[in-house]
Amino acid sequence: MSTDSNDSSAIDTQARGPLLLLLGAGLLWLVMSGVLALVASIQLHTPSFLADCAWFTYGRAQALRETAFVYGWLANAGLALGLWILARLGGEMMRAGNWVAVGGIFWNLGVALSLIGIAAGDASGHTLFQVPAYTQPLLLVAYGAMAVAGILAWSGRRQEAAFASQWYVFAALFLFPWLFSVAQVTLVWFPVRGVLQSIVAGWFAQGLYSLWLAPLALACAYYLLPKVTGRVLPAYPFAKVGFWTLAVVGSWTGGRHLIGGPFPAWVASLSIAACSLLLFHYLVVFLNLRNVIGSKGTAMYFTSFGLLAYVLGGVADAVVSLRGVAVQTQFTFVDQAMQQLALYGAISMMFFAGLYFVVPRLVGKTWASAALVAGHTTLASFGVALLVVALAVAGVIQGHALLGDAAKFANIAAATRPWMLAATAAQTVLLLANLMLLVNFVQTVAALASSRIGSTPVSTPALKAVLS
Amino acid sequence: MKNGPLFFLGLFASLTLSFAGVVLLANHQLGGLTPYFDDGEGKSFPDRTPGIAARGQLVYRDLGCIACHTQQVRRPGFGADQAQGWGERQSVARDYIFQAYPQVGWSRIGPDLTNLAGRKPSALDAEDLMKLLYFGQGSMPAYSFLFQNVKVAGQTPKSALKLTGRSAPAPGHAIVPTERAQALVAYLLSLNTAYDYPESRPVVKTAAKAEAAHK
Repeated sequence: MSTDSNDSSAIDTQARGPLLLLLGAGLLWLVMSGVLALVASIQLHTPSFLADCAWFTYGRAQALRETAFVYGWLANAGLALGLWILARLGGEMMRAGNWVAVGGIFWNLGVALSLIGIAAGDASGHTLFQVPAYTQPLLLVAYGAMAVAGILAWSGRRQEAAFASQWYVFAALFLFPWLFSVAQVTLVWFPVRGVLQSIVAGWFAQGLYSLWLAPLALACAYYLLPKVTGRVLPAYPFAKVGFWTLAVVGSWTGGRHLIGGPFPAWVASLSIAACSLLLFHYLVVFLNLRNVIGSKGTAMYFTSFGLLAYVLGGVADAVVSLRGVAVQTQFTFVDQAMQQLALYGAISMMFFAGLYFVVPRLVGKTWASAALVAGHTTLASFGVALLVVALAVAGVIQGHALLGDAAKFANIAAATRPWMLAATAAQTVLLLANLMLLVNFVQTVAALASSRIGSTPVSTPALKAVLS
Repeated sequence: MKNGPLFFLGLFASLTLSFAGVVLLANHQLGGLTPYFDDGEGKSFPDRTPGIAARGQLVYRDLGCIACHTQQVRRPGFGADQAQGWGERQSVARDYIFQAYPQVGWSRIGPDLTNLAGRKPSALDAEDLMKLLYFGQGSMPAYSFLFQNVKVAGQTPKSALKLTGRSAPAPGHAIVPTERAQALVAYLLSLNTAYDYPESRPVVKTAAKAEAAHK
């Protein structure tokens, strides 16, 4: 195998095993979380659905959906893409690939155990931190094993000056264990008192999004756009400022959900200010990546969808955090709509972009079915848009009713029912879309296995021909 | 960003700063909250949760009731929590100091439960709550897995649900709440924030006054 750094496909083939393992596991969790999301969504308009089954009562189904999505799909896909980007930009073969494989296996084992635990009633009960106490250490150690490859790729990079995607991946790799271990100590092992738990949980959930998932997604976008279009990013010198704004201010915005309740008022005030400051980060990201809009290709399409959702989500956060607006939207489905916009619309879509770009390079073949790619693209965009709109409208109706006198929850349920049905339809569409992606992925990887049996390893020139 | 160690330190410092600013500062302010001793009543508040109610909180937590119910009454003037009848005063941090797992919540698909047992004019009693859990209501599902259909020989157990008509169990049978259901109901009946702390008062009055002046 050549060690020439120009021969980038050698980096891909060498990292193939562990990264395909992570991506495949991620896609399985994505489909599973789709099924769980469908269950939870149906229960919102038909409460009797699976009501006799304690394992899937709404509170647990909701926690299961979220955990499968974040710790299953987003974590696996984000890590795989992040490690790949670090290896590629570092210009060296991925080292410690075995650690990634072993860590990946244990991580996914941990996620599976967590889901069983949540279904059995051991969820820790905080948003984005539902993982039961007993699987948290396993997840942390497994994550550490996988991150080894990233640290080696970072420290062994050929060029000293790193690119924006490298900063983002490195930050994400390092900040997740920081956040996760602190949350474990302060919420599980030595829980802080009373409402402080909500403050810590809010801080953690925001950090998880702003300092782990968003950086991984942005790394994909910052990598793909110049790579695919062959053009320099506009306003690139500002990227550094955008990065540090996110790193410094991002995790201060978690308190925006704690308005009006039994919390010190400054917690909310600080986060409102931080939300506004963070607009600067969104502005920089948009300026850097604006050329993606209108660029051709599946990866560019998903990146532009993700970019728009990311920026829109940031602006919406800033608006909804304001007290005058929050009083209308707090405790309603608007929160869920914004979560879906962020996690599905922004992060997931950028990961899809990365997936469509990376998998052919890892496998050395193009996607097995162009029709399935087109199908997934159309259905996923439609599903996400419908889901966010349906939840947001339901939330506005709900918020309006909650501000009236003596709200009748039966009336609210009746008024929001059409929108809940629309949300269920959206979840069905998304499940279908993700099944298409999974099938396509399996077929693409299976082609690799069968070509191996033919005992002609993919030659480098052939690879280049396929990929050019 | 050529300097790797400096970059690493910068990242570390930025998250540490937000941890200190949000978590440690809040802990400094609230971590040492003590119960409030009322000379007039000769006892301190909040009350400690009785054992069975504390176990009930675990049931509440493991079923994920928090996905639909909050336990926080917001201050008057912010939202309509008082008009909804969920509590006359706002919730304060001191209300939660004895709770192992405060279920403050983030979603109101169902009503707030902060002061469920202190509702006026009349609050639900144990029997109402059992039936609510057994049958569900509106968008709340029935939690029938918290109940057992048992065969009775002789006297019907005291805890059996008093059901009539179509929902009545077959003759010789009774619907009996499990221990989990009983703990959960005991917990729900312990949710009462009738006592007015000094810190929950002034804001109420000024807000009410401002509202009155506005009218």
